[in-house]
Amino acid sequence: MTQIAVLLILIPILTAIFIYLIPNKKASYLAFVSQIVLTVLAIVYYQYFTPNYEETLFVFGSWDDRIGISLSNDRLSMSFVFLALFTWWMIIIYTFNTKQSNQVFLFFLLFLQGVFLGIIMTNDLFNMFVFLELATILITILIVFKKDSSSFRSGIYYIIFNTAGMLTFLIGIILIYFVFGTINILAIKEMMPLYGDSVAARFAYACLMTGISVKAALFPVFMWLPKAHGVAQSAISALLSGLVVKSGLYLFIRVNEMYAGAGYNYTTFFFTMGTLTAFFGVMFAVSQKDIKQILAYHTVSQVGIMMMGLSSRDPLVYYGGLLHVFNHALFKSLLFLGAGVIISVYRSKKVADIRGVAKTMPWVTAMMVIGMLSITGAPIFNGFISKSILSTGFSSGSFEYWLLFLVNIGTATSFVKMSQIFFGEPMLSYPMFRKRENFALMGFGLMCVLAGNLTIPLSQGYFGVDISFVTVFSFNKFVDYAMTLTAGYTFYSLVVKPDLWPIKKIREARLPFGMANAVFLALFATMSVYFVFLA
Amino acid sequence: MDPILTFIVILIGFYGLSVSDNIIKSVFMVTIIESGVILLFLNLGNLEGGSIPIYTEGLVDIVDPLPQALMITTIVIGSTVTAMALMLSIKVFHHYGSIDWKTVLNREDLEL
Repeated sequence: MTQIAVLLILIPILTAIFIYLIPNKKASYLAFVSQIVLTVLAIVYYQYFTPNYEETLFVFGSWDDRIGISLSNDRLSMSFVFLALFTWWMIIIYTFNTKQSNQVFLFFLLFLQGVFLGIIMTNDLFNMFVFLELATILITILIVFKKDSSSFRSGIYYIIFNTAGMLTFLIGIILIYFVFGTINILAIKEMMPLYGDSVAARFAYACLMTGISVKAALFPVFMWLPKAHGVAQSAISALLSGLVVKSGLYLFIRVNEMYAGAGYNYTTFFFTMGTLTAFFGVMFAVSQKDIKQILAYHTVSQVGIMMMGLSSRDPLVYYGGLLHVFNHALFKSLLFLGAGVIISVYRSKKVADIRGVAKTMPWVTAMMVIGMLSITGAPIFNGFISKSILSTGFSSGSFEYWLLFLVNIGTATSFVKMSQIFFGEPMLSYPMFRKRENFALMGFGLMCVLAGNLTIPLSQGYFGVDISFVTVFSFNKFVDYAMTLTAGYTFYSLVVKPDLWPIKKIREARLPFGMANAVFLALFATMSVYFVFLA
Repeated sequence: MDPILTFIVILIGFYGLSVSDNIIKSVFMVTIIESGVILLFLNLGNLEGGSIPIYTEGLVDIVDPLPQALMITTIVIGSTVTAMALMLSIKVFHHYGSIDWKTVLNREDLEL
């Protein structure tokens, strides 16, 4: 049974190769076969191992598990596996056609799926590095797949910046091997109380975390994300923003689990980074005029919110951050896919050029509204649950609480701005209905509503956290939400709509590439000093 | 070679990355950082006067084979990334007529 973990990585990659090699239009349908097989295997695997995950350890070539490459799973990684499978189902349906060029596209898409599942399930640090580098290369190819000038520009920015980040991660791995004599995560976790306090182990932590900050797009090093996610094809943006950027946060959780025995005080540092990320993300998002740039900068700010939750030692706040990772994957993919349909019909990305979507594409509008309500935290949609848990976890009236509130208002502002595309007279006279795209949108929309209503009863059973204190149908929550929305609308009509000079200045601010790397180096130095001497 | 020296190589790479305005130079700076990292790992795994990690009868003081195995993989990945980045910089040159970061990044994109 443990071999299923290997199949989950191998099947998408093999299917990708077959689709690329078979010179037949029908070969594209293999993607669906692979998805069905993967889903069945994942469910069987989950059913078999559910209560005791210690047995999932699989070592290649039956070596001693400290030397060999191994795969293992737990509750968290299984939830990521199911989230990944669902997202890939929807993306494949959204982009599916039987043209020759799509076969090449499917090759990279399915290959990325195998690699992503590898990142999730691996139990070996170097293996994780290899998968991450493979993912970087594949994502670069997917970003430049449109073959226009801005995508090439973003592609080269992405690959150089992320490779530099991953090389610091590799330095961390080397130092860990030097200290512990193994790169097996479970083995390191056991040895951590013995060696965790040495300078080399602390410096290794700083190196690993610098690499992870780049991958997760935290505050000083987030500039690659809007560039990459804003110019790729919409389906790819949805995949990257919804899921692949979470690989950074997943690594953050894993590395902190690994270092649990060392007992570093990382909370303050990463909480500050999370708040700054959330704040700057919202600030840039409010000033943008391009739909996809708005959504991409919101990914940055939401990653900040997740980081605020995940960096906490309070189990409730941590759980809120973790739930937000899953919820964000659903609604951000939905928003990007919806934006993709709108952009391809209107042939423009500017908010000001698009009007009357509600009349042209009522179905897309309905789904986009679900996504917007989720991201701004409306009751009965999924963003509400995780944001409520976070704001309950931060004591009412504290600094964190108000900061989250401020970020919420910023989010509301930019989605009030974006919702202007629905109103007005359409420039196109015919209604548009696209079957495959609408089906994928419906899948994500349905999941947003379901997750908004079922998380409270289910999380007790699955994660063992009681969140029944979050009441969905309460008058106060609706009043709170209406107030946030009003504040957002006021801010929009007073400051954002007239395009006052601070907004213009923020929009036109550019960080040169060399400067971005200097900032990255400064972050590396700060982290090294902080974790070696202070934490 | 001392591990400190390899750290200096890595820092030279990072310094070059933060000051160079040329895309091709940036690609090579990443390569320099990577060489530094590879040298660092081989250094830490080295054993003065140790023998090659190929098993024969009566072998003592074997050099740890794991760093070498891992670094071969890193070299392969590194060459792939370099090839990919150079290909992209050619494409950027075709589209923008320049490989200067400032010119390329400050150009407003007008197409969809």
